[in-house]
Amino acid sequence: MVTNDFDQRLRDRLEGVTEPAPDVWEGISKGLERRRRKVLFRRFTVAAAAAAAVLALALLVFRGPRNGGQVEAPVQIAQTDPAVTAPAEASQSPGIAPIEEQIAALPQQAMADARMSKPVTPKKPAVVEPAAEEPAAIEPVEAATVVEEPAVTTPVVTTPAEEPKADEPQHLLTEDDLPADYWTREESSEKSHNRTHTSQISILSNLTTVSSDGDLLYIPSASHASSQSGKGQATTDIEPTSEANAAKFYVPLTFGLQVAFPLTDRFSVATGVTYSYLVSQYDILYKKVLYEGAYNQLHYVGVPVSLSYRFVQTPHVGVYASVSGAAEKCVGQRYVFGSNVASEKVKGLQWSAKAGIGVEYWFIPHMGIYFDPSLVYFFDNKQPLSIRTQQPLQASFEVGLRFKI
Amino acid sequence: MRKTSTYTEADLISGCAHGDREAQRMLYERYAPVMYPVCVRYLGREDAKDILQEGFLTVFDKIGTYKGEGSFEGWMRKIFVNASLMHIRKVDVLRRTEDIDETPETSGVLEHGVLEQISSREILDLVAGLPVGLRSVFNLFVMEGYSHAEVGALLGITEQSSRSQLSRARSLLQEKIKQLYHGNK
Repeated sequence: MVTNDFDQRLRDRLEGVTEPAPDVWEGISKGLERRRRKVLFRRFTVAAAAAAAVLALALLVFRGPRNGGQVEAPVQIAQTDPAVTAPAEASQSPGIAPIEEQIAALPQQAMADARMSKPVTPKKPAVVEPAAEEPAAIEPVEAATVVEEPAVTTPVVTTPAEEPKADEPQHLLTEDDLPADYWTREESSEKSHNRTHTSQISILSNLTTVSSDGDLLYIPSASHASSQSGKGQATTDIEPTSEANAAKFYVPLTFGLQVAFPLTDRFSVATGVTYSYLVSQYDILYKKVLYEGAYNQLHYVGVPVSLSYRFVQTPHVGVYASVSGAAEKCVGQRYVFGSNVASEKVKGLQWSAKAGIGVEYWFIPHMGIYFDPSLVYFFDNKQPLSIRTQQPLQASFEVGLRFKI
Repeated sequence: MRKTSTYTEADLISGCAHGDREAQRMLYERYAPVMYPVCVRYLGREDAKDILQEGFLTVFDKIGTYKGEGSFEGWMRKIFVNASLMHIRKVDVLRRTEDIDETPETSGVLEHGVLEQISSREILDLVAGLPVGLRSVFNLFVMEGYSHAEVGALLGITEQSSRSQLSRARSLLQEKIKQLYHGNK
């Protein structure tokens, strides 16, 4: 709205003026690089979380049947240990070497395997039919024992009726030899065990609430303007201020890994490690100059400990109540204002307490999803200004994947 | 040899939007000489360099929001004006009332042809040398075309104060131009 002739003439002279500019490309380039790294870090975080979830799933899927080794053990022993299946007399039969020679001929590794093997007797009732007058014969017989005292163990494990002919193949344990209820007995027992007394790993992410419009008026006070550097003195370089604008707090993000251990059928205790990222935006005084809308980024690493009581427990659904406490250490604090970046150390720990209820849904026997709405209170531990200092009581919504191990 | 001349403005904008560092550098080289005087007018030569850097970072950050409506140079210029005003607010200089109250009101009409004898760079330096409050009002009203109500809202002053400061800015500029003209003669 130029109404004055002098204004118009000045405007004509100044409009479109060009002038060689000082070379600030280097500073721009560095600023762009910082922003690029920030974007990459965010992407990496998301990718890492996804990779962790996939890895956990893959471990779960490809780890194989839980009792596979136990089933095969008797067969393996039967193949490698002639003392278990061959009677003493058989060792004298033509075509079959004496047992001492067979044992001596075994590769060293096979011997080692045999020594490491679990006791075989309970796993092969169909093969071993001890004499009625010698009940002690069903005691586990280790390969090591066989090596030292073959004469003692050999007659114990077979009955004369089952002596194989010298030209017949030795009888090995097959599934037909197992009791009819062997598999169902093992599996049902395992399922029951899993449902009640199984340790769990959780991969979690957590959102906490901020005020509805995201803005809170920050009133400076000594209690939490405590960015510290050097020997714990409050810094004089950067001070939050509410002089021009209200502070703005973004939704904090938390990711973590937890392991839960059962105490009883219904109680369990869990612990792990969490990472939290908090971003705030407020005015700061930097070297006594006001910078509006500076970003403050806080990185916390914490260790939570929780106790849960499971009051609903079905094969697919669990409902529980839990209380927990956490100690978190701020491992990084950064201010970004304009093209400037300043880092400061933060002393002390952030303590918090949480209580809530949770529900979990096991869509396959070993993996489930859970949702824990809860209330969390952050104690005043003289930490830097953040949503936690301004709004200590928050609603927290934790979701995650849970794996039985 | 740089390929600046082979790239159209649209190519550069597209390249910058995709984070192409070469396109960003070309855009900087093309527009820095245009935007630097804008920063000088608002802040003086001392601070203009910092805002030039900050302004370009904002441009590269926001360039994806440019929809091709209006001139790109005008869009960039708004960013640099806003960055300059932000800087002025940061250092809180507008609250220094001595700028306003202690600036003498001068009178006199600039003779015809005097302004034409002064170079654009000299005029730029005269504007940049005004007290910050007067300079801000002058730039926003005369150069950007805002009304006094809008200037008042942007700077956090009353409309009347904007009028008053513009009047003082004009008088002071005319006085300095006269001095410069007679000094050059």
